[in-house]
Amino acid sequence: MAKKGINIWNACCLLLYIITAVLASRDFYKILGVSKTATIRDIKKAYRKLALQLHPDRNPDDPKAQDKFADLGAAYEVLSDEEKRKQYDMYGEDGLKEGHHSSHNDIFSSFFGDFGFMFGGNRQQQDRNIPRGNDIVLDLEVTLEEVYSGNFVEVVRNKPVAKEAPGKRKCNCRQEMRTTQLGPGRFQMTQEMVCDECPNVKLVNEERTLEVEIEQGVRDEMEYPFIGEGEPHIDGEPGDLRFRIKVLKHPVFERRGDDLYTNVTISLVEALVGFEMDIVHLDGHKVHIVRDKITKPGARMWKKGEGLPNFDNINIRGSLIITFDVEFPQTQLDDQQKDGEKTELKLVVPVE
Amino acid sequence: SGQQSVTGVESADDANSYWQIRGKPARPCQRGSAIKCGQPIRITHMKTSRNLHTHHFSSPLSNNQEVSAFGENGEGDDLDVWTVQCDGIYWDRDEPVRFKHVGTDVFLGITGEQYGHPIRGQREVHGMSTPNQHNLWRTMEGVFIQPSQEPLRHDEL
Repeated sequence: MAKKGINIWNACCLLLYIITAVLASRDFYKILGVSKTATIRDIKKAYRKLALQLHPDRNPDDPKAQDKFADLGAAYEVLSDEEKRKQYDMYGEDGLKEGHHSSHNDIFSSFFGDFGFMFGGNRQQQDRNIPRGNDIVLDLEVTLEEVYSGNFVEVVRNKPVAKEAPGKRKCNCRQEMRTTQLGPGRFQMTQEMVCDECPNVKLVNEERTLEVEIEQGVRDEMEYPFIGEGEPHIDGEPGDLRFRIKVLKHPVFERRGDDLYTNVTISLVEALVGFEMDIVHLDGHKVHIVRDKITKPGARMWKKGEGLPNFDNINIRGSLIITFDVEFPQTQLDDQQKDGEKTELKLVVPVE
Repeated sequence: SGQQSVTGVESADDANSYWQIRGKPARPCQRGSAIKCGQPIRITHMKTSRNLHTHHFSSPLSNNQEVSAFGENGEGDDLDVWTVQCDGIYWDRDEPVRFKHVGTDVFLGITGEQYGHPIRGQREVHGMSTPNQHNLWRTMEGVFIQPSQEPLRHDEL
């Protein structure tokens, strides 16, 4: 009887253990919403989008916000690291070796800056009297390939950070007028420099890596701010670092809005009898073109859906517009060739 | 010469002290690629979009060669080009380097002469003919862009 009891007890313990083990092990791919074959770029993109949505400051009414956000941070930390991802894929969350845990704050800051949670205009609502350091605006050149497929640019930011130091320093220095009495009825007014005392601060250089996302469909002059990554201010907050997108000209494609324009040169024969060809697109995929009618110089072909993704909705794409140039022979034809051409053309082109 | 002056300041929290490294005129360098020792570059002042420039004028305080900030919107002339002098193949971020002017062959330097009013305490930046400890420079605060991978092509997946 006792033996049976022990067996049931053991079974229950085992079952409980398995259940908790399964519950404790999180599906990081599901948390980020990416497939098991996602690239590092897919993972960064997913993190960035979800981090903004799930940040606890943005979800004050959700009691589970902290947990969801922590899960997101853990998922990114593991899946963005090649070694950790391998271990996770093979052994699950429990198989991860100890010694990781970079703080989620660090991860979040690398995408948005130190005060990145102040997104969406909260910064302006802050006390206007707090002095702010200068903003740094940096042009970031991007290729049309990157506008089409998206990309992440890693940037190392080395900046002076205000740190507490021992002692005091003079701050809020200003000129004031002092009146001193020299004798009965005689006064002297002098100008004096008067300062307050503040806790001492020193500037120490710190470095961190930032992740700048080049979103699909991004347009010229769009800015990506990193809050607090600009210049420090001894008496206040640091300014911001802003990346301003500059789309470089492409040798083959011209961008107009979400549409792409390109020129293709065909031979005289192809112009008359038709042709079939492939155009290599920005991400390497081929756009197949078939034409069986006469093509006049300057004729245009529209390929819907082969343009750039729209920034606000990447499921919508512009069109690819192909303009055909016809290549005429360079050298002049001699009389014999001219006669030959005339007869041949008579056969090809019906003359009424 | 009447052009914009370039000075050295001690404060580390001034966004007016940021300069951007760019390629020669009409030869832009690729974003994120490392700069080789000996490579010609332009050094552009970020706030005013003017290029570090020098020419055969005397500097006001020390009689070295005057260094100014020249051009509009990042475009000046051929005297905006400097070569990075360093040991090894690439300009290492922590490495002291020199900037040698292409055209007049002077080295960018500061020897300590200070301006008076209205830029009291700021140091004169000038071009010197010989390399020495006054013309060694090192990057400090900044934004350093890493090389990127090409966006993936569909047929690779």
